[in-house]
Amino acid sequence: MQLILTLNPTSIPGTVLTNTVAVGMVALLHVLFATFLIGSCTLVALSELISMVTHDERHERLARSLVHAWGYVFSTGAAIAIFFVVFILVGLWGRFFVTFQQFTFWVWFFEALTFVGEIVLLYVLYANWERMRRYRMARLGMVLLLNIDQWFQMFLIDVIASQMLTPTVQGATVNMGYVLQFLNPTNLPLTIHRTVGNIAWAGALVAFTAAFQYLRVTRRQEARALVPGRREPVRALGAMPEGELVRERNREAAYWDWAGQWGMLFAFGLTIVQIWVGYSYAKEIQLHSLDSWYQMMYGWISNIFLAQFAGLGLIFIFGVAYFWQRLKAAGQYVTARRHQIALILLILLWLFGIQPAWFAGSYPDIVAAHLAKPFWDGGLEDPLGFFFPWKVMVLIADMLIALYAVTSYVRARVRTPMTMGQATRGSQRLLISLAVMVGLMMLIMGIIRESSRSPYLVNQNIVINHQVILQQPAPNIPLSQRPIGP
Amino acid sequence: MPGAGEPEERGDFAGIVPEPVLGPFRRSVAWLDDRTGFTGLLHNALYEAVPKQGGWAYTLGSATLVVILVQFFTGIFLLLDYVPSPTEAYQSLLYLRTNDFFGDWIRGIHLWGAYVLMLLIGIHALRTFISASYKAPRELNWISGVMLFFLVLALAITGAMLPWDQASYWTAVVVTNIPHYLPVIGNGIRALWRGGNFVGPVTLTRTFALHVWVLPALLLGLIGAHLYLLRRHGEFGSWVNYETTTDNPEKEIAERIRHAEPPYPARGSQPKYAVPRETVDFFPDQVFKDTVVSLGLVVLIFVMAVLSGAPLDGPANPATLTYVPTPEWFYLPLDQLLVFFPTALIGFGVFVIVGIGATLMLALPFIDRNPERHPIRRPDVLVPAFFLIFTVIYLAMLGVNRLYNL
Repeated sequence: MQLILTLNPTSIPGTVLTNTVAVGMVALLHVLFATFLIGSCTLVALSELISMVTHDERHERLARSLVHAWGYVFSTGAAIAIFFVVFILVGLWGRFFVTFQQFTFWVWFFEALTFVGEIVLLYVLYANWERMRRYRMARLGMVLLLNIDQWFQMFLIDVIASQMLTPTVQGATVNMGYVLQFLNPTNLPLTIHRTVGNIAWAGALVAFTAAFQYLRVTRRQEARALVPGRREPVRALGAMPEGELVRERNREAAYWDWAGQWGMLFAFGLTIVQIWVGYSYAKEIQLHSLDSWYQMMYGWISNIFLAQFAGLGLIFIFGVAYFWQRLKAAGQYVTARRHQIALILLILLWLFGIQPAWFAGSYPDIVAAHLAKPFWDGGLEDPLGFFFPWKVMVLIADMLIALYAVTSYVRARVRTPMTMGQATRGSQRLLISLAVMVGLMMLIMGIIRESSRSPYLVNQNIVINHQVILQQPAPNIPLSQRPIGP
Repeated sequence: MPGAGEPEERGDFAGIVPEPVLGPFRRSVAWLDDRTGFTGLLHNALYEAVPKQGGWAYTLGSATLVVILVQFFTGIFLLLDYVPSPTEAYQSLLYLRTNDFFGDWIRGIHLWGAYVLMLLIGIHALRTFISASYKAPRELNWISGVMLFFLVLALAITGAMLPWDQASYWTAVVVTNIPHYLPVIGNGIRALWRGGNFVGPVTLTRTFALHVWVLPALLLGLIGAHLYLLRRHGEFGSWVNYETTTDNPEKEIAERIRHAEPPYPARGSQPKYAVPRETVDFFPDQVFKDTVVSLGLVVLIFVMAVLSGAPLDGPANPATLTYVPTPEWFYLPLDQLLVFFPTALIGFGVFVIVGIGATLMLALPFIDRNPERHPIRRPDVLVPAFFLIFTVIYLAMLGVNRLYNL
């Protein structure tokens, strides 16, 4: 506790600060690529399976597009990862990294192996997707293998991340055994949180791309409507007769409308689950790493946490607004009206929920200044902004309304088929906003978690300032003799 | 209709028409049948129509019944040794373990049978839910099934309190304390169950009475009702059994109803879902599948009982300060849910949240009034249900993880 008081972020020397910024930026950048790859791999498997069963060409096209995107995304993400390990971790944080790797060696080792598996499977699929169309079961099998490889990869890196936040044995730096590392208190909630989050992020990027394309396609249609008789430049879709060009564009609009909606359902639907999973994650942090939890909920990070809370509300608002717009465009006015009411409720809840409990940067500062009292008594506290019970109630209400909204939307879609390609341009802008918010949430969550350990790099073990190691490594016990139970 | 001059009942001519000459065994059977009519009952039981497609998925109910019977039989054997007294209960189980040749196996089968039963009922309920078998006219089948599930849960928790080792004693302390979260009547119920303010001899005998008499009696009654309702309305199967294959579905459905074999057409059902497209006799087609699955499960239970057995902690010690009680795995979701509640709201978590969940389960046939049976066309119940199922599984996983980090 003494360390926490003396090594607050403002006293970190410049080099540590710049190194911290560097590690944060590169890691977050890498995360955006890697998480999309993992999540989209599941979406590809799902779309491939559906297209095999139903012969739906839209799913086949979506799967193909995502696999083609993998080539670019993976090469960029992998380059960032290599840069991250070689230059940032080894170069800037060498002492920490080497020490940490000593007792998480096999986790890193298998992480590297899954990387090899990923390269093999992903590039084979990328290069031969079309050629393997005749062997769809084999193709699907390879996608499923890639899923297993990538989810295992994520699980392993979660072991590392959760081990840094809540070491299995507090104060014991090394050799608590790999089974206990896997079973550390926050590994499971983090893994589920990321599993759900990765698919949501992939869905959000699908929705983003689809909305962007829909806007591009329909902008040209609007331009045509504004200038009758104007000939369109034909280079985008090849040299087609004008009638064919219009039909092609209608087909394109229908496809992108559908793809945006498909991706959005994952982004929105799985974010509902994130409230519950995220709460359980925070609870485990509270139970097993109280200092970090305190920083998140009451320390300087609580302001970022509040931003995340606000972002979560915005995702639901954008999502339900999209449902409302889309249903209205499809002529389902009764259900659209219900979504409109849900939207109003969500906005009111959002306004209620984003009230900060205090406005200063640090709770201890407020206490020191005797300002930890309600603002109407001259203090800085806003009791309505407290997490318990107000924000929890807002989260529960958000979750229930969002669940109702998505269920009701899917039901409306099932009972009365919608004609694709009729979405308003406004609804597509909502999709883009939603996708941006999902991406921002991923970044903010990373910042919160990684900053909450401060002043530690590994909680209770390695201090961030000069990477000081608090304990000497214990003797190296053979793996077979390590404890495997609590 | 009998023709002119034909007898309506063979019995009308007893003594006039000579009886065929039968061997002693057949004569005994004929005598018994004459008095009881059991062959007719057997015929009705075995030769009823069941849906042809997806028969393996419909074995779960029979398998559940078989495992319940295993529980009854092993329970009777355990009763031969077990003494429901704080001073004798643990010793009697120790005797069973060390001196009775198959005693430990029997106890292991009883324990693993309970575990398998939990899973089976869960999967059976999930199958019924996804195939929308709970819809009219089978609402009461669903309700009786849900009540059976609750009874099995109650049997499991009361059974866990009987060995009177450390685990069961502290389970008894925790479980009998739960009612006190109820306002007004909570303390009274706790005192009634415990036989006072603390867990003691009366708690054990009352829990024993619940486990071996009250709950099994209710269980048997409900099983009877469940089976009767199943036979009255017939096995629904799933949406695949009701697909039409011709261009004139109405005519096809009318033909099916005209040629339906008992118990179809299901009374009170929509015509489309009144008769399955293809049916087979319960015996031997479905009985064969039921037997394979049930036998497989019995073997699994036996193997697990032999390999893993049933644990027995040290004898109950109310004075211990170090023992950390852990719930059975099927109560982990509830236990973990309560971790998230502030102490003041635990009663809310136990009774309101669980109560809402139980009510929703029971009232499902009346909530989901959509006539569709295909799961893709029922997102209004499927989406929230999968959210709930995910929550329960995730809570169980968190609970397991927590046990390793106590």
